Amino acid sequence: MEHALRLQSVTKRFGSFTAVDALSLEVPKGCIYGFLGQNGAGKTTTIRMVMSIFHPDSGTLSVLGHPDAAQVKDRLGYLPEEKGLYKKMKTAEIVAYFGKLKGMDRSTANLKAKELLTRYGLGDWLDKRCEAMSKGMGQKVQVLGTIIHEPELVILDEPFSGLDPVNRDLMRDLILDMKRQGRTVIFSTHGMEHAEQICDFVMMIHKSKLQFAGTLSQVKQGRDLGIQLDYDGDGSVLQRLPGALRVNDHGKHAEIFLRQGQDPQQALRWLIDHVVVKRFDYREPSLHEIFVRTVDEANQKLAAAGMER
Amino acid sequence: MANKTLLVAQREYLENIRTKTFWIGILAFPILIAISLGAGYVLAKLKQTQAYAVVDLGNSSADGGAASGLAERIEKQARSGDMAALARLLASDQELPGAMAEIAKDLGDQLAPLRGKAGDDPAVAPPEVPDDVREKLFERLQKLPADSLQRLMQEQQAMATAKRYQRRSLAELGLAELPPTEQQQRLGQMVQKGELFAYFVVGAAPNERLDDFRYVSNNFTDNSLRDWYGTAATKVVQRLRLAEAKIPASVAQRLREEVAFRAEKADKDGKTSVVTAADKGSGFAPMAFVYLLWIAVITAAQMLLTNTVEEKSNRIIEVLLSSVSPGQLMQGKIWGIGATGLTLTISWAVCALLGIWVAEWLLPGTDLTALAAAKDPLYLASFVVYFLLGYLLYAAILVGLGSVTNSLKEAQNLLQPVFVLLIIPLVSMMFIVQEPNGLVAKVLSYVPLFTPFIMMNRAGGPPEVYEYVITTLLLLASVWLAFRFAGKIFRVGVLMTGNPPKLKEILGWLRQS
Repeated sequence: MEHALRLQSVTKRFGSFTAVDALSLEVPKGCIYGFLGQNGAGKTTTIRMVMSIFHPDSGTLSVLGHPDAAQVKDRLGYLPEEKGLYKKMKTAEIVAYFGKLKGMDRSTANLKAKELLTRYGLGDWLDKRCEAMSKGMGQKVQVLGTIIHEPELVILDEPFSGLDPVNRDLMRDLILDMKRQGRTVIFSTHGMEHAEQICDFVMMIHKSKLQFAGTLSQVKQGRDLGIQLDYDGDGSVLQRLPGALRVNDHGKHAEIFLRQGQDPQQALRWLIDHVVVKRFDYREPSLHEIFVRTVDEANQKLAAAGMER
Repeated sequence: MANKTLLVAQREYLENIRTKTFWIGILAFPILIAISLGAGYVLAKLKQTQAYAVVDLGNSSADGGAASGLAERIEKQARSGDMAALARLLASDQELPGAMAEIAKDLGDQLAPLRGKAGDDPAVAPPEVPDDVREKLFERLQKLPADSLQRLMQEQQAMATAKRYQRRSLAELGLAELPPTEQQQRLGQMVQKGELFAYFVVGAAPNERLDDFRYVSNNFTDNSLRDWYGTAATKVVQRLRLAEAKIPASVAQRLREEVAFRAEKADKDGKTSVVTAADKGSGFAPMAFVYLLWIAVITAAQMLLTNTVEEKSNRIIEVLLSSVSPGQLMQGKIWGIGATGLTLTISWAVCALLGIWVAEWLLPGTDLTALAAAKDPLYLASFVVYFLLGYLLYAAILVGLGSVTNSLKEAQNLLQPVFVLLIIPLVSMMFIVQEPNGLVAKVLSYVPLFTPFIMMNRAGGPPEVYEYVITTLLLLASVWLAFRFAGKIFRVGVLMTGNPPKLKEILGWLRQS
């Protein structure tokens, strides 16, 4: 399979701090790839290296087949986590400007900018200044600026943050559209439900180290099954469920993992006696659970390593 | 690749040009200057008239001696000034200094009625000088070289302001019949109430004693009325005393004459010519240019700093960096805002030229040769070159500083040392204009941060050609170096958030290739 992006033990240090530690990763062409990880885990640094804003201290990068990402800058689209626009510029101008910076010629960029804005519901805003727009609209304008030059690889850093549900759906559709057009999309997110819904591949990075990477089913494979429970009643009783290893109680929904050898049927019986069960599911864990557990395990490992030393 | 730098520069330029504040800035500066120039003139015009009264102690004494009518004589002297005396002098047979002889020749026949009667006898009133002669004299005096007849011109100015002073006669005030002590009491009350600005008491025996001449006013700061009236009184009293001593007016004139060295300049053949107002102007013109240059460089560099910090704080920088390299971005910014600054300075220069042109047209009589230096293409060209080089140097420094800070406030703190340095060319401005080839001027010329200002300042000298060459090369080298360093700092600093880096860290970035 051809790769849109390949990292081989890429490391980036800032002074004594290692932001990305020997990261190896392959992103196949035409897929949607989710980057997961806590704040400060190293996602943004990884993305910045892909965008050749930073240069790795060691390891090799291959972006769209080129070892130097700077050479293919014009074929990449990038929406950074911190989104900003020139407040005084008109929306059509700024979208076109981003296009021109990516090497589009003047008239094509101007036309395309107007067309995109109109297509995504901002037709009335072409001649309005960016400062007059709401946050969601501003973000939309920025995304359009990211994709105006029809990049082969699009990297979106936290594209869903700060968006209302309607705009989240719009963003999701936009990402899916790009996949349909054969582009590769990488996005980072804290919203596990988004990753789970639209990603073909996910990877997780924690404290600068890669924890796992692969398709969603690969990532979930071999992990403990868990109970997905929708319920009514006092959730505090769930903690007393016999044989429960971990309980993630969300108030109306809970994810429960049992100790090795415990029977989920028994648990169901006990649950019926204590709360109103609305839905009971015994299946592979959510990405949320995997994420939280990975963080826990990694921290324990680090703590243990610290003790040994 | 350079294409992207151009795109960035173009955007910066257009964005600045399109703001209202930019155009306000372009207009505000010349308007401010015009206002400050006009304000003095208008304020002088707006000054209220000052009413005064005079008590002549001599008039009340019955003897009617030499002092009789003293107040009236002083009044006449004050109102007509020395212009009449000068006319009489020109009409006399005395030998006159060059410039004045020429005026006498020009006026020719008009002086005839005064000729020959330039009486030596003070008892005989001198012939009246016709108003048109006085006015012609006036005109000619204005065109004389600055130094000559300076004293006369000052007096002439005092006469022009004399319209402000309004005499109220005692009869008009209804005090004529009262004894002097009572007159003074009543006048004092009027001064206190503000009905009169002041009153004078003219002594009874000016030939013997002057200690009973008094000026009563409750305004202690504006002494112009007192000086104006006092000067006239002095002249009248002098004339009285000369008459008493039987000294002819011509002798007195000779005795009073002051030595005024005529200022001349020498050319390479040793020939001399009179220093004109234009010469003086060209000596001082560099100061105006330095000041303008200073403002232009600071304005543009500040603009750049604000822009960098704003762009960094609104996070747009990362999007840009995914399309252009940090170097392209930095240079695009510097050039774009440099073009903005250049537009600003050229607009100012055009305003200045227009202003001079309008002034020449509005006030045809006035001598604006002093401003001629402003139209010298060499000055203008060197101004543009020094602006560009100076701006580039400061721009590189400020963009480097701006890129490591997160807010304008932080940036301002870092800027302070730069501004302290920038004060040096301003405080040394006057000094360097006076000594354009002095040691201080020469040494400061070789400090690249000051080169544009100091060399502009020395233009009146002018400096040797080799100095121009070496200082410009030094300046170019520092611009190049500053760009390199700023590029390295910018590359790292522009994406940093949190605390500004320590100096040690910045030095570390510089060492990285």
